[in-house]
Amino acid sequence: MREESLTAIAEAIRARRLSPVEAVERCLERVRKWDGRLRAFIRLDAEGALESARLLEAEAAAGRWRGPLHGVPVGFKDLCHLRGLPTSCGTSMPGYFVSSQECTAARRLLDAGAVSLGKLNMTELALGAFGDNAHHGDADNPWLAGHATGGSSSGSAAGVAAGFFAGAVGSDTGGSIRLPAACCGVVGLKPTYGRVSRAGAMALSWSMDHLGPLAWTARDVALMLQVMAGPDPADATASRRAVPDYLSGIDRGITGLRVGLPENYFFEGAAEEMVAGVRQAARQLEDLGARVSEIRLPDPRHMTDVAMLIARAESSALHAGVLRGHPEALQPAVRARLEMGLGISAHDYLQALRLRAKLTRALVGEVFDEVDVLLTPVIPEAPPALAPLKAATVEEFNARSGRFSRFTRPFNGYGLPALSVPCGFAAAGMPLAFQAVGRPFDEATLLRLGHAYQEAAGWHRRRPSL
Amino acid sequence: MTETRQQQAELAGLAGVIERLAGELSLAEEPARFIAALEGEESAPPNA
Repeated sequence: MREESLTAIAEAIRARRLSPVEAVERCLERVRKWDGRLRAFIRLDAEGALESARLLEAEAAAGRWRGPLHGVPVGFKDLCHLRGLPTSCGTSMPGYFVSSQECTAARRLLDAGAVSLGKLNMTELALGAFGDNAHHGDADNPWLAGHATGGSSSGSAAGVAAGFFAGAVGSDTGGSIRLPAACCGVVGLKPTYGRVSRAGAMALSWSMDHLGPLAWTARDVALMLQVMAGPDPADATASRRAVPDYLSGIDRGITGLRVGLPENYFFEGAAEEMVAGVRQAARQLEDLGARVSEIRLPDPRHMTDVAMLIARAESSALHAGVLRGHPEALQPAVRARLEMGLGISAHDYLQALRLRAKLTRALVGEVFDEVDVLLTPVIPEAPPALAPLKAATVEEFNARSGRFSRFTRPFNGYGLPALSVPCGFAAAGMPLAFQAVGRPFDEATLLRLGHAYQEAAGWHRRRPSL
Repeated sequence: MTETRQQQAELAGLAGVIERLAGELSLAEEPARFIAALEGEESAPPNA
């Protein structure tokens, strides 16, 4: 099971070479064997998954197919509300998030036939770049024990890499899908702001939050996005524009695609092996027909600061209840980040929102006239060991977290689609990854690029030695 | 609340950057233009 992509599993079930119950049982076997170490789950729902799989198996036997994910095992970050399971959001409080509305994105996957294996580990309140969690245990990297999975969607990425499920839903406010995808060697997509409804998911920062898929391949992610994306009356920020067919053109190749490598900011201070890995990927894209050039960007530092200030202000407002009522229940680093937002003035917050509009228009106008896709590292270094990080002071830990997410955060501010794709391994055996960023709502081009690269490079065929 | 000196310094730094950048905003610039930029509904504010 762990050798197969989500697409392959879906096809095997549709061709009756694999039954939904078999698919779920194989996943559960791996969970039982490895989740003691990896801690990808906050709440495993083995009984619920088997019950759903049996029902789907009966429906398939009767020739009734719910959709393209019929019988495919998936997992949901534990900030997606689904009826019947509590939503802890990574806190010590099992029912921290209560919603009258189920998570639209998760529900759409289930309605398309996916089987939920349960709710997945995450950093507390989705704050943090490394995947540590004092309440549910630190998620562990499947490639090298004791190393960061990346955060905050730690269980989503680690679980895909471990073969616990074929795909997962994560959320991304400053990099929380792309960072763990990069650290765990899987593909993760932060869609355009508004492409995927956020209804029924805990908000951290309504201006910066995005939900998106993680899986082994760009094709898998395209299939999941196809199901998750689209208008939603329950989320006023969900775009009303039609969802294109992400799969029909994915095999078209990338001849003539203009790929820009930023001259400024995105390679500054990154580890040599990460820079080399991303530049090597750019050369491979060139071999596949892309036209690669260097490009100077409007200073992304401005958007990094704007996005940080907006996120801090909104997250402290959203979670003021626990911050004021039960601060002792929060991890010190999480509490410190929320407290900082209390000191932000309304004046600065509103100016930041105005600046966001201006900076986004400038970037979209200046950059995407010259190139179709930007290519950058996702993380500045290979995933670090977790123990030394946790031994640092709260201030040092949060500063390190900020530096680790500095290449992803600007695109939450810009709202642009960004895809994390594995592109090799560091000397210590940890994954390297590039980030492909496109025009608003042009996820299709990113997925086509990711697919072409993966087919040529083949890194996605490697698996951690679990 | 126990804001540390480092947090206060970080916050002051962020606020300083925002204040400096905001000096160049036109009167027509408002938050909703972010969505308009993504949706391709405009290329520039009318009095930019």
